[in-house]
Amino acid sequence: MRGHRLRVVSDVRRRQVDPGGPTRRRRWSRLGLRARVTVTFGLGALALSATMAGLTYFTARQFILNERQTAILRQAYVNASLARSSLRTPNQNITQLLQNLDTLPGSLSALELRGQWYADSPSVGERAIPASLRHLVVSGTPATQHFVLDGSPQLVVGLPVPSVHAAYFEVFSLGELARTLRILALALAGAALVTTAAGAVIGRWASGRALRPLDEVSKAAETIAGGRLHVRLVAADDPDLSALAGTFNRMADALLERIEREARFTSDVSHELRSPLTTLVTSLGVLESHRDDLPSRSRLAVDLLTAELRRFQRMVDDLLEISRVDTGSAELSLDEVEVGELVREAAQAAGVGGVPVHSDPGVAGLRIWVDKRRIERVVANLVDNAAQYGGGVTALAIEPAPEGVRLVVIDHGPGVAPAERERIFERFYRGQTSGRRGATDGTGLGLSLVAEHVRLHGGRVWVETGADGENRFVVELPTHDRDRVTTTLVARTVEHRRTPPALDPHSDAS
Amino acid sequence: MTSRILLVEDDERIRASMRLALEDEGYEVDEAGSGESALEHFAEQPADVVLIDLMLPGMDGFECCRHLRRTSAVPVIMVTARTDTHDVVAGLEAGADDYVTKPFVAKELAARIRALLRRARSVDEPSVLTFGDIEVRPDEGTVTRAGEEVHCTRTEFRLLCELATNSGKVLSREQLLDRVWGYDYFGDGRLVDVHIRRLRTKIEPDPANPRHILTVRGMGYKLTA
Repeated sequence: MRGHRLRVVSDVRRRQVDPGGPTRRRRWSRLGLRARVTVTFGLGALALSATMAGLTYFTARQFILNERQTAILRQAYVNASLARSSLRTPNQNITQLLQNLDTLPGSLSALELRGQWYADSPSVGERAIPASLRHLVVSGTPATQHFVLDGSPQLVVGLPVPSVHAAYFEVFSLGELARTLRILALALAGAALVTTAAGAVIGRWASGRALRPLDEVSKAAETIAGGRLHVRLVAADDPDLSALAGTFNRMADALLERIEREARFTSDVSHELRSPLTTLVTSLGVLESHRDDLPSRSRLAVDLLTAELRRFQRMVDDLLEISRVDTGSAELSLDEVEVGELVREAAQAAGVGGVPVHSDPGVAGLRIWVDKRRIERVVANLVDNAAQYGGGVTALAIEPAPEGVRLVVIDHGPGVAPAERERIFERFYRGQTSGRRGATDGTGLGLSLVAEHVRLHGGRVWVETGADGENRFVVELPTHDRDRVTTTLVARTVEHRRTPPALDPHSDAS
Repeated sequence: MTSRILLVEDDERIRASMRLALEDEGYEVDEAGSGESALEHFAEQPADVVLIDLMLPGMDGFECCRHLRRTSAVPVIMVTARTDTHDVVAGLEAGADDYVTKPFVAKELAARIRALLRRARSVDEPSVLTFGDIEVRPDEGTVTRAGEEVHCTRTEFRLLCELATNSGKVLSREQLLDRVWGYDYFGDGRLVDVHIRRLRTKIEPDPANPRHILTVRGMGYKLTA
């Protein structure tokens, strides 16, 4: 199916109000393309079939009426001449004569002879015939007229027979004919309705077929929006569709390239920053070791430099780490460790070795496959976060989860506002949180790195508020075995390193 | 006697700042701006420790390290801008004993240099350790395989001694890092892995199917006779 163009409307144009009937147009377009095509097809079929049926009906009606009228006239002439020859013989029983005439079924004859009225049936009285016609015929003009008698259409033919001073009338009932025409009209209307329905069905089917590639496009677009950037459409044989698929794929390529370029850029910048940073850190280290020889104002300056440089260095490190995840070059180096030991070591490394660790009996001795370095960073960053925004860590906890284990970092609070619970894991997000304390070493990347590390492990992280308003940062890690960890990792890496899983626009959507 | 450090780094300012920092720590520092001049310099004036930046113009750090290893067992620390597995492992396989990532803190670098220079051996070590056809003499610093001398770097030798004195026992990566590299914090397990691999190529009859230095999955390494 061809000829469907996607309408691309810029924002500006979309906002323009259509001067002619905006409401109606809006309602119409709200119907959806498929419904609109269906309705259009149905209406088209209706118009076409109604016209055809109308033409057929009127042609047929005209034809049948003409035929009938010709037959009637012919017979009336024959009968009139028969009556004339009979009337030349005197003393005829006129009623008898009329009854003997050969008439079509349903037709009646009458004769006016010297002002006297005769009929072959008492139902055709003098009054049954319209008076105007009777006068016309009696005065010598042949005439026909349609009229209704007892609710039934009739045709009367009047022929003057001047040689015997008579006027012959024949009345034909057209009831049968009207019934035939009514049946014809019904049949034609029925056919028109069927055609309309068929038109709508064909419209629906055709639009469905035409729009199926759009379904595929929308599915692919959704997949891409979900982060799987390597999904592509398979180019179809149809030139229209392959153009669409081509354009779509070029768009996806451009998008991917752009994202990769940005990630690479971050990585390159971070690397380039390292050389000057090395000189700075090393030189400042030298200055620091001679700190005691410095005048007090210089000492203060050195201290400020040292603190800020440390932050700068951490920022570069964090950016590099994040860009590795973004470019897909992050690698997990997995070890099997006991959860309790992992948490205690991580706490030690984060400088909170003295904080109590509440370990649920259900996870005692549990061993999991993790990248220790990354999990230590996760704990360290959560501890830093607690120090900066939550008044410091009060406890750590290890809790069982349906398909894994939860490491919980608990602080004093105040709890993170519900609206910010997801956003705090975004890069460089600085919330409105009032709990922030003085100058920080924060890089704005700590929690987003936590999220990335945890995601690499196939786990998830969130924050919840405890009963006493404390924050509970929960890291849930899956406890599956090493093979499964590496399988998901390999899958993820493959995904990062382009193997486009194809979506075939021609495959039947199941 | 003060230890000499050969600093191979192409960035002049980094070199100058590192010289300041290392001299503050009490070392004598020689500088080289390229791999080629570093090799020349080393041939004339051997150093106790060599610091090599991986990203050098011309001959790169890996190449420079490999050249150095042909003639010397001198401890080498490579300086890398990346912590990517690829660079670190490639550097270690080129023969480096340890690595630091830019930007590093001079004190930490100095600590690593000290650890490398230290002869970390306990007094009660036996004079000869044997397993299979291998003989290790800790006090002489020699290893022989079927009577033939095997050339090891100082770190490889210490790693082998550590495994041999604890023959049959499993040593974790952390324990080995602590005892051989002198790290009292959580170090990089890749250091151990690459050195074990290098040791195997030197003393195992079939390095792909080791008989002496065995990997204990999820735990560490052990040596069997």
